Amino acid sequence: MSTRQKRRVVITGMGLTSALGLDVGVFFDRLEAGDSAVRLMPDWSRKLKINPVAAPVVLSEGIEKSIPRNFRRSMGRMSIYSALAAEKALQASGLPREFIASGRCACVIGSTMGSSESIMEASRIVILNDSENMPALQFFKCASHSAAFNTANFLGLTGCVLAPAAACASGLQAIGIGRDLILSGVQDAAICGGAEEVTPEVTASFELMFAAARGFSGPPQYSSRPFAADRAGLVCGEGAGLVVLEEYEHAARRGANIHCEIIGYATCGCGSHVSQSDHRSIVRCMDLTFRDAAISPGQADYISAHATATVHGDSEEAMAIREFFGHETPVSSLKGHLGHTLGASGAIELIASLEMMRRGRILPTLNLERVADDCAGLDHVRSVREHKINVFVKNCFAFGGINATLICRKV
Amino acid sequence: MNREEIVAAINSIFIEQFEISEDKLMPDKEIFNDLGLDSLDIVDLMVGLQRRFGVSLRENEEIRKIVTLGDVYEFFVRLEAKRGEPKT
Repeated sequence: MSTRQKRRVVITGMGLTSALGLDVGVFFDRLEAGDSAVRLMPDWSRKLKINPVAAPVVLSEGIEKSIPRNFRRSMGRMSIYSALAAEKALQASGLPREFIASGRCACVIGSTMGSSESIMEASRIVILNDSENMPALQFFKCASHSAAFNTANFLGLTGCVLAPAAACASGLQAIGIGRDLILSGVQDAAICGGAEEVTPEVTASFELMFAAARGFSGPPQYSSRPFAADRAGLVCGEGAGLVVLEEYEHAARRGANIHCEIIGYATCGCGSHVSQSDHRSIVRCMDLTFRDAAISPGQADYISAHATATVHGDSEEAMAIREFFGHETPVSSLKGHLGHTLGASGAIELIASLEMMRRGRILPTLNLERVADDCAGLDHVRSVREHKINVFVKNCFAFGGINATLICRKV
Repeated sequence: MNREEIVAAINSIFIEQFEISEDKLMPDKEIFNDLGLDSLDIVDLMVGLQRRFGVSLRENEEIRKIVTLGDVYEFFVRLEAKRGEPKT
């Protein structure tokens, strides 16, 4: 039997920094209450032509100072979110600090890019021809692997440090990579997930492609409307979600609280288009994942959809789910509550799904009053539903034509 | 700027940027060993001082010789004195 066949990977801790709270319990309660973090961003008006809405994280004053300055000085906002979430995940897992420093624990954290705010600051300094006043730490905030190395250093972690940059699939890819590092025996544990920060410039990049919610005239919390007939594009969010992955025997030996086993993961490129999701490649990704898990689609109890509320993306994902699962597996998207947290979305929504599994309740898609014709034929969850979940599926699809799917099973 | 104002301006950079409490800011304190700054912090200290005093320091040989906080005070006291001298 190969090493890969012998080893199993479980999740033993989770932590997040979200627009709906910094505690997993509070976060879930607010999701369940139907709260949306989407709000108006009046300061963004001069930079955007559309309604300036986003789902920002609001940290209580001084909380970032819990991170010592020598670590915090190289962190942009996204790295601060990540470090705060990692600390909580690690604490929840009960993994001792000595183990984190043993070289047997990885840190894999993805994001679309480095700190957007810091990149804009650096650009302004260069444009003003004022490079002499560029802070020394600016590079460390802007670098693509900023959240990963900042979090690893903050934790004193000495194993593999990796940072997949696959836009909206980054966080899920990070968890998949962490799983593979443990399956292969390279590491025994991994702190994995995604982090992202939102700025008007990030939203503007979606606006340019007509992918950002525009023209919705209702209150801001109704702006993000996945699968809905009147969906109008995505709303950008931010935050960080981190999970602690651990080799099963390692976790069992120390009596860790095991949330689930990751039984399947796959990622693939669509091979055709940088921005247009393609249902055929989504089906292929889901199929690869189920083959990896060695279970059938009918065994899934819930699908946490990517569904960002773009016209094209939701339609393609719905088509793929119909084709692969049929119409009986419950589906929902949390983008109505949280906006699209981009590289963090896979991890944050995975944490919400783990809580759904633990509590036996599926959270609905918010703002889904009328299902679009092109998204119909699925079991859309539209109100909180009592439902036993043994197996769930998390989907993420990213600009660049990148798909990722992960399957978790109760242990 | 008089000496007192210069000292206050420099101290405010150490307090705000490097989060060092004011009671530790004594002239005999060494910037690396006592105040805990490292080579990256020194670059940001220079940026802070450049912005505060409106001077370019990157190519300045004298600034590289600074060891203590008192050396920083003296550097800018001399600089301000030179600025105040009548141009001939």
